Amino acid sequence: MSDAPPSAKDRRPPMRMREKLILRVVSKALIPFILLFALYVQFHGDFGPGGGFQAGVIFAAGLVLYGVIFGLSSLEHVVPPRTVEIGVALGVLLYGGVGVACLVLGAGQEGVGNFLDYNVLGSHGGEGVNAHGQHLGILLVELGVGITVASSMLAIFYMFAERGRPEDDS
Amino acid sequence: MTTLELIAAALLCLGTFFCLVGGIGLHRMPDFYTRTHAASITDTMGAGLVLVGLMFLCDGQHWTVPVKLGMVLVFVLLTSPTSGHALVKAAAAEGVRWVTGTPPDSSPDAEGSKEEV
Amino acid sequence: MPIELILFLLLFATAVVIARLKDLFAAAMLTGIFSLVSAGLFTLMDAVDVAFTEAAVGAGISTILMLGTLSMTARNEDQQPFRWLPLLVVLITGAVLIIGTLDMPAYGDFQAPAHQHELYAGFIETTREEIEHIPNIVTVILASFRGYDTLGETTVIFTAAIGVFLLLGHRMKHEQEPAPDAQPDDPSEAGNES
Repeated sequence: MSDAPPSAKDRRPPMRMREKLILRVVSKALIPFILLFALYVQFHGDFGPGGGFQAGVIFAAGLVLYGVIFGLSSLEHVVPPRTVEIGVALGVLLYGGVGVACLVLGAGQEGVGNFLDYNVLGSHGGEGVNAHGQHLGILLVELGVGITVASSMLAIFYMFAERGRPEDDS
Repeated sequence: MTTLELIAAALLCLGTFFCLVGGIGLHRMPDFYTRTHAASITDTMGAGLVLVGLMFLCDGQHWTVPVKLGMVLVFVLLTSPTSGHALVKAAAAEGVRWVTGTPPDSSPDAEGSKEEV
Repeated sequence: MPIELILFLLLFATAVVIARLKDLFAAAMLTGIFSLVSAGLFTLMDAVDVAFTEAAVGAGISTILMLGTLSMTARNEDQQPFRWLPLLVVLITGAVLIIGTLDMPAYGDFQAPAHQHELYAGFIETTREEIEHIPNIVTVILASFRGYDTLGETTVIFTAAIGVFLLLGHRMKHEQEPAPDAQPDDPSEAGNES
């Protein structure tokens, strides 16, 4: 797809799997911990640095590492592109859905129940700031952000990698 | 200064010294492969000793702080040599020139010197 | 103070080298280093959430996506002639920005409007007293007090993914079916491209 003269890099076959032994072993040992760390950052965002954006990026980075070392087809077995497409929209839908749920739950009372007003999500929502409602609202909203960010990064990686691969890698 | 602080100071100075050694080596080495070796000294000895020194400074804090530092140390010691290995392997497959010693093996095409990085 | 000066000088040197390099792979790696040094600066300013995000996005995902792009395009930048007008525009814009910062309050000034306005003080009071079990005020501001903005940011990321879907297409290998009534030896039926 590029009309540069073929260099030694293009004439060389892609590295076979058995030549990447150390990379395969180390990444197989570490990728579960990377994904687990992403979940930790997502749900620990209330108490320390973290939240949806960082967690989504770390999750996508772990999956991209798997794809780079084991081949794009293996990654597409684990996370099909259709799932990624659904995930991109699902996060925003979750976020907006929480807002609409606040609208619906606070319908009868005046003064509360705006879009994204988490106070009505608590058990006895209404007056003042409801801590349980805030906690639930923040949790769901950050989950939506995390899903969208992880799916978007993975989708962009899929687009680039599918575009650039000449044929199936072993 | 208590004993723990003295040990931590000594380890931090040693770690900084190794980072400096790595930086000087990166500058002075003649070849890509030897420069990768110098950079990996910064990654493993430098970062490792700094982290161990920081673990000694966690006096009076929650017990999870040195545990987290230890986990970061394990992660760094696992991934830095692997990335150095991946660098050298990719360079050997590309055919980057070496200056002295035996040529690196496991290159599918032994086209020899292609470019000096 | 000295360590921030050193890091800023490192940022400046990295930026100059990125602009001057012709080897694009090295420039992509240097943008990763730029993001990492920025993350260090943010940590020194006590903004750890921002530093976390900058390190993860700038030094992680952005580098791999740039390298993926470069694997599809050329490796070296073409030689470009030196032009005076862009340099003049950049210098004038930089000077205007620096003159603009002379009016800002000092860093960490207690009398600054960002600290004195009762809206922002109210954030801290509300978080400390009424939402006891969410100590991280950055998350509370992002997700609850300024939740609309975060919804907009998430939609922006969503739009970026949609834009990449539209521009780069997808699943080219599913479009190779020839039309059932096309002539089998018609040379102008070149099939689907791109």
